[in-house]
Amino acid sequence: MRTSSLRAEHRFWNTLRRILIVIFLIFILLPIGYVILISLTPDTQVGDGSLWPTHLAWGNYVKMWQTIHLARDIRNSVIISGFAGVIATLIALGAAYVLARFKFRGRRVFLLSLITMQTVPQVMLLLPLFVIFVIIQRTIAVQMVGQYYTVVLTYMTFALPFACWLLLSYMANIPLELEEAAAVDGCARLGIVRHIVFPLILPGLVVAFVFSFLLGWSDVLFASVLTNGGTQTVAVGLQAYVASGQAGGDVFWGQLMAASLTSGIPIIIIFLFVQKYIIGGLAAGSVKG
Amino acid sequence: MLPRSTQGESGTGGQLATIPQEPTPVPSSILQAKYTKVRKGERSVYWMMVPALLLLLVLVALPFLLSVYTSLTRLNQYTITDWLRAPFIGIDNYITAIRQGNALGASALQSVFVSVAFSIGTTVLLTPIGIIAALLVNKPFTGRRWIRALFLLPYITPVFVNAITWRLLFMTKWGLIDRTLGFLHIASKQTLWLIGPHSFWAMVIADVWASWPFLYLMVLAGLQGISDELYQSAFIDGASRVRSFFSITLPMLRPILGLALLLSTLNHFNNFTLPFMMFGTPPSPSADVLPLNVYVTSFQTFNFGLGSAMSIITLILMMIPAFFYIRMLRLGEESA
Repeated sequence: MRTSSLRAEHRFWNTLRRILIVIFLIFILLPIGYVILISLTPDTQVGDGSLWPTHLAWGNYVKMWQTIHLARDIRNSVIISGFAGVIATLIALGAAYVLARFKFRGRRVFLLSLITMQTVPQVMLLLPLFVIFVIIQRTIAVQMVGQYYTVVLTYMTFALPFACWLLLSYMANIPLELEEAAAVDGCARLGIVRHIVFPLILPGLVVAFVFSFLLGWSDVLFASVLTNGGTQTVAVGLQAYVASGQAGGDVFWGQLMAASLTSGIPIIIIFLFVQKYIIGGLAAGSVKG
Repeated sequence: MLPRSTQGESGTGGQLATIPQEPTPVPSSILQAKYTKVRKGERSVYWMMVPALLLLLVLVALPFLLSVYTSLTRLNQYTITDWLRAPFIGIDNYITAIRQGNALGASALQSVFVSVAFSIGTTVLLTPIGIIAALLVNKPFTGRRWIRALFLLPYITPVFVNAITWRLLFMTKWGLIDRTLGFLHIASKQTLWLIGPHSFWAMVIADVWASWPFLYLMVLAGLQGISDELYQSAFIDGASRVRSFFSITLPMLRPILGLALLLSTLNHFNNFTLPFMMFGTPPSPSADVLPLNVYVTSFQTFNFGLGSAMSIITLILMMIPAFFYIRMLRLGEESA
């Protein structure tokens, strides 16, 4: 009697789970599906009430490269986010090693400020940084606003604390005994970092790089103020479509959606490649959400 | 590649979207780390953290101090060329921030309300969604790895893409939302979602869609830490599944849920990209979150002093949840 009722209960929960999973998948995929549909709809048919386009406008995926400088913007995004990711990861490696291995005065303050920095609103830093860049421009006549390095530098404000924090948790998992053994064998400190720590923390470095890259790729705030027409990132570039609508013109919705998908797909591909390492990192360094 | 830790991966290791063994998102392991000393005859190793320290001082600490200073001055597009001589006006900016709006939008005080409502509202909405999702995929079944990967899709899509997506979905008349609601006769097909009072809800819905996987991930990590034996003994005692959920799962999840809710509140309070890309600037006052308001004040009306004052107000407000967050990380206990 108990077994059969148990089986019924088991079946009930299994069915419920299936139904809920389907609801979730609809919830997730419906907006994405709609975007794909609109990206293939001719602009003339987007607003006229019919859900299905009469023909698929693959041309949106061609025209978007001409309407805005999509290729250039993607290249800018890759350059800026890539450099920001590499620099943040390498600098964070040194800091994380010292923070994880040595006790020193001010260590706790450093750790606390790393966390606090991740909660500081970015817009609060952007304004004074902008003022500083303008001052530098005026005094020594070096163009700052609109340069790659300026944007990369400002991305350190979020990428560096994040990468430090992430690598710290990886570093703490590397057994100290390995390093001690190497030291007994006469290995110098840099040699230890190079030969013992580096290979062991490589997955952590990958995660730190990918996340710093993703944070940079998704940034709109810094890029919208600190880039110019030549260095703007893809997120800023996409705004050109939207802005044309606000100025009273027609928004090329089909192209905008095609371009949005195109700029989101590299991120999703990167994610699929490294996700084995990344989910733990998501949780470990979750301050940036 | 080498395993990232001496502990093995969990039983589900090697799958797509695996949650590693250590379930706590708090890197408490930092606190238990073994320390070493700078060895005799060895030159200091502290130089390794100098680049990070320097960069953070120049890029975070210095701007912070500058921001405090400019919040007390009348710095605008006319005085920025000679910023040191910008008139010092004390707390006038703070008073202005609270009393009146800038030319283009809501006052800072109103933005505070919008931001607080937004961050708390989204967190309240996405919490049950995240918990249910985590429970759904916690036990093995065929195709689970794919479902797990798909569940993360909204989260890994860049926020600006999400924002553009929802801008499309919320378009008046032909957007999917208006179409569906009109079809179901729930609301008018002409509802304006992107301007006016409804824009707050458009922003909340878009944000819940984009960020519930964060809670799902945290809960999933927490679920891994609950031993099966607890459920077995509850089962023997005749407890139903619903009962086990409320008597075992939820209490065991409490620490991680606390942290997740806190982080979610913090993150949403700082969300600039979503409203910025969804509504453009200036947004309607009911969607004018504080970071967006600071942006418009500073870079569109060029009132840098007022913008600084508003961002200081933001920071002070952020300090409240941040304080609890730091408390929960228990950094203070490392001396033990």
